[in-house]
Amino acid sequence: MNRRLIGYIVGFAVLVFAFWLVMTFVENPEIQSLPYYTFRTLLRITVTLGICVAWGVSFGILASTNKTASIILVPFIDLLQSIPILGYFPAVIILFISLFRGGELAIELSAILLLFTSMAWAIFFGVVGAVKGIPTNVMESAQSFGLKGSKYVRHVILPAIVPALISGATLAWCDGWFFMIAAEYIEYAGTTYWVPGLGSFLAKASYVYGDITLSVILLVLITATVVYINFLTWHRLMERATAGTYKPVLKIDLSGVGQLGVIKAIGPRRWLHLGNRIHWPKSLTAASHRLRKYTRLEKAIALVLALSLIFLMVYLLVPQVSFDAIKREFSSYPADELVNLPSYVALTMGRLGIAYVISLGVALGMGILAAEHKKFAAVFYPVYDIGQAVPILALFPVLFITLSRTFGGVIGLEITSIVMLVLDMIWYMFLNIVSAIRNIPSEIREVGKLFGFKGLKRITHVVIPCILPAIVTGSILSWGTGWNTIIFSEYMPYGAPTIYLEPTTINQTYMVGQNFNVSLYVSDVASLYTWQTQVNFNLSHLQCINVSEGDFLRSAGETQFYEGEINNTSGSIGPINSTLLESGRGVNGSGQLAIINFQVLQPGNSEISLSEGKTKMLDSNLRIIPESKVYSLPGLGSYLDKTGYLYGNTVLLILLLAIIATIVLLMEALVWRRLLRKFEKYHAEV
Amino acid sequence: MPVLEVKNVMKAFPLEKSQVTVLQDVSFSVDKDEFVCLVGPSGCGKSTMLRIIAGLEKADSGEILFHGEPQTSPNPKITMIFQLFGLLPWKTALENVEVPLEVHGIKKETRMEIARSYLRMVGLEGFENTYPHDLSGGMKQRVGIARALALQPEVLLMDEPFSSLDELTAKTLRELVLEIWRDPSLPTNTFVMVSHNVEEAVYMADRVLIMSSRPGRVVGEVKVNLPRPRTQYLRDSKYFQSVDEVMVILEKSKGEAQVKSQID
Repeated sequence: MNRRLIGYIVGFAVLVFAFWLVMTFVENPEIQSLPYYTFRTLLRITVTLGICVAWGVSFGILASTNKTASIILVPFIDLLQSIPILGYFPAVIILFISLFRGGELAIELSAILLLFTSMAWAIFFGVVGAVKGIPTNVMESAQSFGLKGSKYVRHVILPAIVPALISGATLAWCDGWFFMIAAEYIEYAGTTYWVPGLGSFLAKASYVYGDITLSVILLVLITATVVYINFLTWHRLMERATAGTYKPVLKIDLSGVGQLGVIKAIGPRRWLHLGNRIHWPKSLTAASHRLRKYTRLEKAIALVLALSLIFLMVYLLVPQVSFDAIKREFSSYPADELVNLPSYVALTMGRLGIAYVISLGVALGMGILAAEHKKFAAVFYPVYDIGQAVPILALFPVLFITLSRTFGGVIGLEITSIVMLVLDMIWYMFLNIVSAIRNIPSEIREVGKLFGFKGLKRITHVVIPCILPAIVTGSILSWGTGWNTIIFSEYMPYGAPTIYLEPTTINQTYMVGQNFNVSLYVSDVASLYTWQTQVNFNLSHLQCINVSEGDFLRSAGETQFYEGEINNTSGSIGPINSTLLESGRGVNGSGQLAIINFQVLQPGNSEISLSEGKTKMLDSNLRIIPESKVYSLPGLGSYLDKTGYLYGNTVLLILLLAIIATIVLLMEALVWRRLLRKFEKYHAEV
Repeated sequence: MPVLEVKNVMKAFPLEKSQVTVLQDVSFSVDKDEFVCLVGPSGCGKSTMLRIIAGLEKADSGEILFHGEPQTSPNPKITMIFQLFGLLPWKTALENVEVPLEVHGIKKETRMEIARSYLRMVGLEGFENTYPHDLSGGMKQRVGIARALALQPEVLLMDEPFSSLDELTAKTLRELVLEIWRDPSLPTNTFVMVSHNVEEAVYMADRVLIMSSRPGRVVGEVKVNLPRPRTQYLRDSKYFQSVDEVMVILEKSKGEAQVKSQID
């Protein structure tokens, strides 16, 4: 006990020291807020976890004890789970922002909701699995002693779900850290929303400050924090909750490995060491529940629910539920890319496929080595434990920046995308494979040995056939998480400062002869000293009256502003520019650069845009500030990104989500469910 | 010279931080054409003993001699059938019997023929292409027996082969095993069986070795001198005498163990 306490204290001291080091030596305007950010993120994830547990326990018990509730809930949750979370996030934001009229609360709530949708499933399915796993004899004896209602829940169900709850909560906790970066920093329709936290800081370190060193330091710091907290909480809880499990099949013996100091010193993420044992129910519970056969009635209800859900989303998210509005969304950008949809689907599936094959191969090799040879296990498990604690999404910008330097933007992103997918998919495969190899019945092992299977022959004839069902469940989980990651990884806005026009669209109708203003804004700039740009407009409908300077650059001192040549015969204004007079100064952040006044000449729709390649920004040292460049790989993920996050086209977004959900469900029905049924049939024996 | 000799075998397993001695100084031998049965309470190490003979586990000290040669790894001349049958569930009955032949590099055509003939011998003609999950427990054990015989071993080890079967099925399979043992056309004629069923052991074996538990030792030996086939002697007093003899030794060793644990 004492040694453990010392471990906690030393761990804490090391963490505090690391934070102090970072805060003292890293130069960044926000670095002093690091403890505050850490606290906010911790609080956010903890609160969400509390909500998840409450929801998971109540709904899980309901769904597993009440037939009617199960018929309604399970297909519904299954459907929600099959849609990639990052995909429906824009929809969540727009909903909350419209509900709360913007404000921090709206963003905080949408962050929590996103975290919830990424964390809740493991707990729910864990609880359902545990309740269903209560042996009949226990239920019958409880009934014979007259335990009913709340007493039954308290004395039979709650004790039975504790281990599943803890392991589910661990998974949820780690998923929370995983999605934190996506939940705390959101770019939506040209605006960046963020809530204070480690995730948003990390995102800003990469996107705003472009500071790789800071990103890496933060990444290491976050990983260390997660590992420490895992060690402090889940590890202990798991040790206490081992006694009451009914299913020994969930525990995997790891004798030898668990005795290593390294593995005991670091908090495991998805491996929970129970002395020498490991508890991992996700593949068994979630997958088996997802793959359970639906009855016809359940399928019908699922269909009705799915349709009503889509209807509800459309109803809530499109403020004007008129056919015209939907039609307009369908014809507005990026709907013109819809023709490419088949090739996007193919490309994205190709990327997922490549990553899947790599993960399967590597996980199989590593899994077999780790499960069969203790020496390899001694190396792999610690790597695994730490790897699990790295928030992979946060790795994305760092990886991209590094790779794009060597390979250039697009190829760099292609490699990054696949590496990200592999990093994300491999853990599920690895874990499933290792646990399955460890669960190979001893008689099968002995038969292999007795009849002389050795080396490769042993692996192809005994080990692999034996773990096929586990490979399938691992594949399902891998693809599920892969869909999520691909949305993130095909699209990379890089180099944050952008000059853009605000508003992007004017919904108001102006009469001929009326005047209106359009502003030039810059976002997320560091040390802006001088800028220049050119604006184009449709000269048959509009004419430019004048250009005046905004207050952003002037906030740092006197400026020299030039409104540019207003050419009402060619439809251009420019170059508009402004520069600070006192050298060595600069402005940081976002703000208004200029206001352009237009007059309407003729009725019609008109477009106002920035000329491409005419925008320039210099910092206080007269270095060029690179303007935002978006790297994007053609594919479903980037298309969804553009639709949802960049243009906020909700109708199209829903369509794309429906397409992804269809692909996911089709794959499940046509590939995985069939394979699993085939394998499980003969593996019922094992 | 005996076919099998077990000499001073010791085996211990790590348990938490200490060691549990499973086998302590076990020695016995099995002659050609002999049917020997090891009985004892659960946890006495009789299954471990069998696995050491089969080469599936290594003894900490002591040795196994097969025709006088030390034995440390699996040997095709010594084979085993398992309590839970140990069939590969992803292979059909025929393919399961083919497994040992395949490992020894016998051609597909030949090994299919051999496998088919052994399946016929154990009465499974017509079930060649059935997967284990569609076979009953008794049928699975028949496949296990066919598979064990496929390489024409000399010694057949059986680890509680009938204990997961219902009594009627077990009875039929016991007869099948005895038939195989007696069949002069088959080279497999030295049998070692582990059982916790004393009646079964006395009914089948020439010699019953009784083991005590923790540490596992051979505490007695009963020679069964009933003429074969023994079906007609199942109500005979000689049969019950042998059963009683085994029982007495078992009870005695149990008593000693209790006294010993009280002293400890």
